[in-house]
Amino acid sequence: MFEINELILKKAKELGFGDVVVLAYEQNRRQVRFANNEITVAKNWHTQKVNLFVEYQKRLASTTLTALDEKTIEKTLQMLMKSVKNLAPKEDYYGIAEGPFEYKDIPETFDKAIVELDEPNEYVEVAINAALEEGAKRTAGVLYTDHNKLYLTTSNGVEAFDEGTGIEISIRAFIGDEESGHGTNSVRVLKKFDPESAGRKAGEIAKMAVNPVQGEAGTFDVIFDPLAFANLMSYMSFMASAFAVEAGFSFLVGKLGQKVANDIVTIKDVGNMPNAYGTRKFDDEGVPTRETTIIENGTLNTYLLNTSFARKYKRETTANAGLLMPEAWNVYVEPGDYSKEELFSEVKRGIYITNVWYTRFQNYVTGDFSTIPRDGAFLIENGEIVKPIRNIRVSDNFQHILESIEALGKDLYHIHWWEVATPVFTPYVLVKDVGITKATK
Amino acid sequence: MHELVEFAVEKAQELGASYAEARFEEKSGTEIVMKNGNPEGLGILADRGIGIRVLVNGGMGFASTNVLTKESVEEAVKKAVKLAKAAAKLRNKPIQFSEEDFHQVFYEVKMKKDFRDVSAEEKMEYLKLIEERVKETGVNVPMRFLRYGDFMWHKVFMNNEGALVESLIPRVSVTYNLVVFEEGQMEQAPFVQRAFSGGLELIEKDKPWEWAVKDVKALQRLIKEGQKPPEGKVDVVISPEVAGIAVHESVGHPYELDRIMGREAAQAGESFVKPEMLGERIGSEAVTVIEDPTIPNSWGFYLYDDEGVKARPRYLIREGIINELLMNREYAAYLGMKSNAAARAINYNREPIVRMANTYLAPGDYSFEELIEDVKLGVYMVSFNEWNIDDRRYQQRYIGREAYLIENGEIKHPVRRPILEITTKGLWSSVDAVGKEVEFYPGTCGKGEPGQGVPVWMGGAHARLRDVVLRR
Repeated sequence: MFEINELILKKAKELGFGDVVVLAYEQNRRQVRFANNEITVAKNWHTQKVNLFVEYQKRLASTTLTALDEKTIEKTLQMLMKSVKNLAPKEDYYGIAEGPFEYKDIPETFDKAIVELDEPNEYVEVAINAALEEGAKRTAGVLYTDHNKLYLTTSNGVEAFDEGTGIEISIRAFIGDEESGHGTNSVRVLKKFDPESAGRKAGEIAKMAVNPVQGEAGTFDVIFDPLAFANLMSYMSFMASAFAVEAGFSFLVGKLGQKVANDIVTIKDVGNMPNAYGTRKFDDEGVPTRETTIIENGTLNTYLLNTSFARKYKRETTANAGLLMPEAWNVYVEPGDYSKEELFSEVKRGIYITNVWYTRFQNYVTGDFSTIPRDGAFLIENGEIVKPIRNIRVSDNFQHILESIEALGKDLYHIHWWEVATPVFTPYVLVKDVGITKATK
Repeated sequence: MHELVEFAVEKAQELGASYAEARFEEKSGTEIVMKNGNPEGLGILADRGIGIRVLVNGGMGFASTNVLTKESVEEAVKKAVKLAKAAAKLRNKPIQFSEEDFHQVFYEVKMKKDFRDVSAEEKMEYLKLIEERVKETGVNVPMRFLRYGDFMWHKVFMNNEGALVESLIPRVSVTYNLVVFEEGQMEQAPFVQRAFSGGLELIEKDKPWEWAVKDVKALQRLIKEGQKPPEGKVDVVISPEVAGIAVHESVGHPYELDRIMGREAAQAGESFVKPEMLGERIGSEAVTVIEDPTIPNSWGFYLYDDEGVKARPRYLIREGIINELLMNREYAAYLGMKSNAAARAINYNREPIVRMANTYLAPGDYSFEELIEDVKLGVYMVSFNEWNIDDRRYQQRYIGREAYLIENGEIKHPVRRPILEITTKGLWSSVDAVGKEVEFYPGTCGKGEPGQGVPVWMGGAHARLRDVVLRR
């Protein structure tokens, strides 16, 4: 693919473009979806594409090329030039990174065994059976295998290659209509894949959730399961992007250097973490990915930046390009020192929430939001789970949640599924005084 | 392209598929983003490929490729067949499709002002107009995210049962996020969208810049004059926009038969509705909810679905009674019925699944004044921000953005963030009167894995809810 990248770059420069980024993908993705303990559909995607970003005198344009012959490439570049030439410039554009860079291999991001895996259905069966053994009646979920190759060429001297694999499963187990649990497992190398643990957790929670009673509204101490807290953190990752901040989609607007969370809270983006689903060697400009501390001991340290945003704010890039919109790779919540049992023993009267979905904001800049617990939710009294509850809603404020984090578990869990698009590493989290509401009538 | 599609269908049959379909899709268009007055950039959309779906031994397989050669398509067909065979082994019951009448048709939506003939610079003018008009109001709007998008959506669908459907549907949209900051307070109108199937004439007629002006003025007034909403049992009049989100979330979604049968259980969830509830009362006699893909120029428009079945209006609720579920061929077959053409896919690389198109609360015979005049104490909810619903589609919440107090039959001052948190049955049983005029609002409906955000309209007439609990 590098020959095609070089050709695109050469032709773009000939036409007069300034900064040029050519990012080519070869992707093989396989999916097995299942419901009611049987496979509903199995899929395969084969994609070859080039994401192309060009700049002409501070005028920016981008497109994706799927036909990669010389004629299409030339026609596309000419069309891009014609389209951007008359546009007004983006005055706050400050260019892309100066390469070349050196890249290190990141452990546990590629496994030939996943590429060669003929048929992953046995892993689906393992997860389903584990859930059924725990007492589930029905299961539904999805398994993916991934094999990606990434070729990056830029006008600033970058030529970079990355190859990665992954396998993951997400399974939800049901007993009745309202008794369910959820488990996930996402890894980059086959020998670490543990579909059984996902199925078992889903089944265990479903069983604990039998015969739920209507939950009460009020203010409660809440233990968020990693699955639930990861959902909130994936929104947090979007809000940490400098683009989201400028566009009014973030409660972190104007809060650099300010306290936005309790002292015990440190949240990072780690682009180069071994065995993590979002890990890549380099960002879209070719800058080697790294660890960036977004919130350090409760204080907002930085937004996620690409080179242009970094120059605008007189900072260093955090290696999170996205050229228009910087993005997180793997969100990482620093663990605390509580065992799960110790965390529960801190709660006199509270709620254990195992999963949430449908997080929506009343106002992004103030951070007012609500989200709905799904799967088992449980009332805790004196450190013990006393009964399953249902039909409640977390209705609170994002910053208030971060400021009210009282304790963090010591074990981290890697969460990535339909509702958590940006992978998140998080422990169990205890939050004080969380607003809980319920529907009336 | 027809040849390649036909080749895929024939090849799949040769390899043992009892059912085979192939769908070529091409999307070409433009996206322009402007942030705080700065043009962020121009995106050119040029995406095409082919997706093949097969049934073999009662298992379903799907594969897609964007390399449009015979060799690549053949490879994809082989993969789909192989996956279907393997999937069949982990099934209790073979998948079957309902029997349908198929057609060989071509249809297109004509544009009066074709966006393909208009320069990016000229399209940028729509966003500049929003910038200018918002500035002219004198309201302080420090954060402005604006997006213009258009694309031509070309599809060729064929199956081995005689369907051949080709369509050309252009779609245009303008989206904005506006943050109003006055007197140290901040209010927001996020992701407001105006969107249609058709040409630029629809944007020019709709004037998104006037919607933006209306929004920022309402938010400024909310900051300056807004008071707490009443609490407890009151009447609530919901606008077509609020009625739209409510019918989409609490009627459209739970009536999707694949969800009811558990196929979406791990993602978008299940449903409180069961097939045996057809004929049961879920709302008052004033409530009729229609789902209609065929509304001309609608954002959710289509005439044939992505399984080649001819579309028609579907009455989900008729006078308060659960009347019809949304179905594709697989799930219609479970009930021994015919599909009502609800199968949609967002792209060539996605499978068609049961989706909504344009869902609305059908009009009644009340004028707006009549809806308001005998409300002693209540709230008129014009627009909403935060909303969500549980995954069985029963417990939902809508928070008003623009909203007003109603007192003794008159609309008074704005109220801040009235919260309606209610059950589906509670909501639709409380409706005692519905207005005469229907309006629609666009949205992107999420479902499926990988996600498929499909364009939909949501809307309806104004509706009056009696004695519902409102919170602050």
